[in-house]
Amino acid sequence: MAEAWKGPLQKVDDWRWLIPRSYKKGMLTDGMIYASEKMISVIRKDQAPEQVANVACLPGIVGKSLAMPDIHWGYGFPIGGVAATEEKGGVISPGGVGFDINCGVRVIKTNLTEEEVKPHMEKLLSLLFSHIPSGVGSEGKLSFSIPELERVMEKGARYIISRGFGFGEDEENIEERGAMEGANPEAVSAKARERGKDQLGSLGSGNHFLELEVVERIFRPDLAEAFGLFPGQVIIMVHTGSRGLGHQVCTDYLQEMQKAMSRYGISVPDRQLACAPCNSPEGRGYFEAMACSANFAWANRQLITHWVREVFEQVFQKSAPALGMSILYDVAHNIAKWEEHEVEGKKMKLCVHRKGATRAFSAGNPTLPPHYRGVGQPVLIPGDMGTGSYILVGTELAMQETFGSTCHGAGRVMSRSEADRRSKGRDIAGELKERGILVRAESKATLREEIPEAYKDVGEVVEVVERAGISKKVVYARPLGVIKG
Amino acid sequence: MDKFEILDHTADVGLVAWGKSKEELFANAALGMFSLICDAEEVDGGFTTPVEVEGSDYEDLLVTWLNELLYLFEAEEVVLKQFTIQELGQYYLKAQVEGEPLNSQKHHIKRVVKACTYYEVKVEEVEPQLWRAQVYFDI
Repeated sequence: MAEAWKGPLQKVDDWRWLIPRSYKKGMLTDGMIYASEKMISVIRKDQAPEQVANVACLPGIVGKSLAMPDIHWGYGFPIGGVAATEEKGGVISPGGVGFDINCGVRVIKTNLTEEEVKPHMEKLLSLLFSHIPSGVGSEGKLSFSIPELERVMEKGARYIISRGFGFGEDEENIEERGAMEGANPEAVSAKARERGKDQLGSLGSGNHFLELEVVERIFRPDLAEAFGLFPGQVIIMVHTGSRGLGHQVCTDYLQEMQKAMSRYGISVPDRQLACAPCNSPEGRGYFEAMACSANFAWANRQLITHWVREVFEQVFQKSAPALGMSILYDVAHNIAKWEEHEVEGKKMKLCVHRKGATRAFSAGNPTLPPHYRGVGQPVLIPGDMGTGSYILVGTELAMQETFGSTCHGAGRVMSRSEADRRSKGRDIAGELKERGILVRAESKATLREEIPEAYKDVGEVVEVVERAGISKKVVYARPLGVIKG
Repeated sequence: MDKFEILDHTADVGLVAWGKSKEELFANAALGMFSLICDAEEVDGGFTTPVEVEGSDYEDLLVTWLNELLYLFEAEEVVLKQFTIQELGQYYLKAQVEGEPLNSQKHHIKRVVKACTYYEVKVEEVEPQLWRAQVYFDI
């Protein structure tokens, strides 16, 4: 097992823990972990805090090296890590985004209640399972030509919507309106295209899923109403990313940056933190290719949304608009973005890396769609398989402290092999069924690696961001059925 | 000497490989990685291809080699089981790899390995004629 971390963690308050800049040579700023006292003992069990300290060594880092309460041991950045770098003198690091570029979450609303959906659950899940490709190496049902793939990389979900897979209003309920600026397909290698081209419109495997949930608890009725959520309402959560395209883009640029670092006189404590100046050819190339992958991921979630709507239309014999199937929001949790933030009273253009962290902009932010500008952005936090999800909203304090970022999910606490040992001989699907959750999975091994006890309690994670004031809870939704890859 | 050993990691999976030579080491690391994807007993022949990669040192070469094999698995849809290293210098590797086109009826794919990372990567000659390598994969 992993070695425990023995470095210094200074308690700032009940929810904030500081790794002082003096901890190790090369740190340019402090590290800050958002966690409860109880979580800290778990966080110390592996090398995640060391990774927070390593990120603090990135040239041009602005503010602190941050980690959300779902922090866990990653490679390069910790999962749950957030770091902003400045435009001039700052670096961009593919390891600060990860291999699954724009892995993210989308929630589709319905106007159906649990009572209305319950009798159709078996049929719904079977149809969703057969209509939405999932599993290892799963391929989409549609084939896209190379010019079409380039349009996807440039225009993301907007292109897919223009092809008839969605409604015009969908785009405003997606981060970046479903297409990030600066995407340049020429920066994407032939290998990355090859790996991604057949996977558009597929869920993939691992922790990716599609879940039917019912809104069970409302914490803030005014915000829930503004988001169009009500008790007993059935919603659909989609969790997937850019599939093989993003994996290869990250692989390609990590290798390129290994070579480039010495040329730029950069050294980092972990090779996985390989980086290049934001304005260098390597840095720009990575950003352009990463944006292409992010757009691919938004297109992917858009296609899946279309098939979810088709299945509901078939089962309930009503059109998707009549079923109220609009998108609540779509958030990325592995991404780097150019954003404007106020730092010590000065507006700065920053490259914000979020690796297993969600953008959580507060009310008043001009980049939000008009209907959320008055309340703040919906933040979608999936739990693990079987524990349900939270929908939060961003706060002003998050804008000041975390570059408008918050947690992204539960976070693993158990290795896959330990999960495999603990689930040996167990009927995981049967156990979940007893708790009222139906599961369809492509692979039994995935189910066993993803057992609920392998994850932190998402409720505790969300409690920390609420208490720390960087997000507010709006609703909790309980799972009814899950599709796993 | 074991060929390889799987390391526990909270979110992902690590691998330690051994070899009497660095050529054997690189072949065993590839075997170890494919053991995460599918059981070697399920894989027969029928596919072979040359692989060439470049790197800035042995560590970079190892990561690049393993990522190239993951690319073949995903883009060419082949499962691999035999790795013959023909040339291996500090900056260059040439190999012939063998396996079988992926058949979902026959090959039970255990998980997706998204990539081989540079995190804590090590390639070292721990004693004469005993090489050891360590890598972590993103799962």
